[in-house]
Amino acid sequence: MDSLIPFTTSGSLVDCVDRKMLVVLRDGRKLQGVLRSYDQFANLVLEDTVERIYHQDVFAEMKRGLYLIRGENVVLLGEIDLDQEDDVPLRQVDWETLEPYHLKEIADKKQRDELKASILFEKRGFCKEGGEGDGY
Amino acid sequence: MLPLSLLNAAQNKPMLVELKNGETFNGHLVNCDNFMNITLREVYQTNAEGDKFWKLKECYIRGSTIKYLRVPDTLLDVVKEEQNRAREASRNARGGGAGSRGGTSTHATHISFLTLLVFYRARDAAARWARCSTRWSYSGKRSWSRHIIVDHC
Repeated sequence: MDSLIPFTTSGSLVDCVDRKMLVVLRDGRKLQGVLRSYDQFANLVLEDTVERIYHQDVFAEMKRGLYLIRGENVVLLGEIDLDQEDDVPLRQVDWETLEPYHLKEIADKKQRDELKASILFEKRGFCKEGGEGDGY
Repeated sequence: MLPLSLLNAAQNKPMLVELKNGETFNGHLVNCDNFMNITLREVYQTNAEGDKFWKLKECYIRGSTIKYLRVPDTLLDVVKEEQNRAREASRNARGGGAGSRGGTSTHATHISFLTLLVFYRARDAAARWARCSTRWSYSGKRSWSRHIIVDHC
């Protein structure tokens, strides 16, 4: 990156405009699309967005279109290397096939987290976790 | 084209707004401001699980509660075209400028965005629609009590 540009949101993301990007949201959703615009809050405009879900070594995609994402909800933004993305050893399947597994994974994780929280609270003297409890 | 300018340009366009709590709102944008506060009209509200629906005449959503907005794919092209036209107009007004530059929209037909979104969530929920239809008859007063809930979540 050009050292003349300070390390700010706007400075770091100029190079990413018009590139295919991966965006991970706080709710765990993974979106891939072309970054068309952003601002100082890291609000993002993503074009031709697809949402991806993963389970073990398979994934599924769903076309979603044009997104305007509120910056607060962004966990991660990364450029996708177009030369290498097809070499990733993952198999694509239908969304309908994979969605039940994905939903079960989410439900299981929620249950595990609740169990963990209750043990920490009842046996270890921790306070109850406040807020959204998504780890961010 | 900053994200908030794009939102501004989306006035009267259909959109889907998802809140941080997972609730979604399908409707046409009436107005917005620089905090991303928005008002929508003719709204279909869906709960986070996607199994309950409400119809609201109008609603106000506080910007800070928004996770993301999904807007029509064509919006970017429309905005670009408008910017070109504005540039052209100002150039002509100044009397200078030679060649003309014009963009043509490449998008021909689109399924109604709103229809698509409403039916995506509802595709296997015909029965539930019947149940929620009774709630649609609520008066405008009910709509406003909804709006207050949205404002505070």
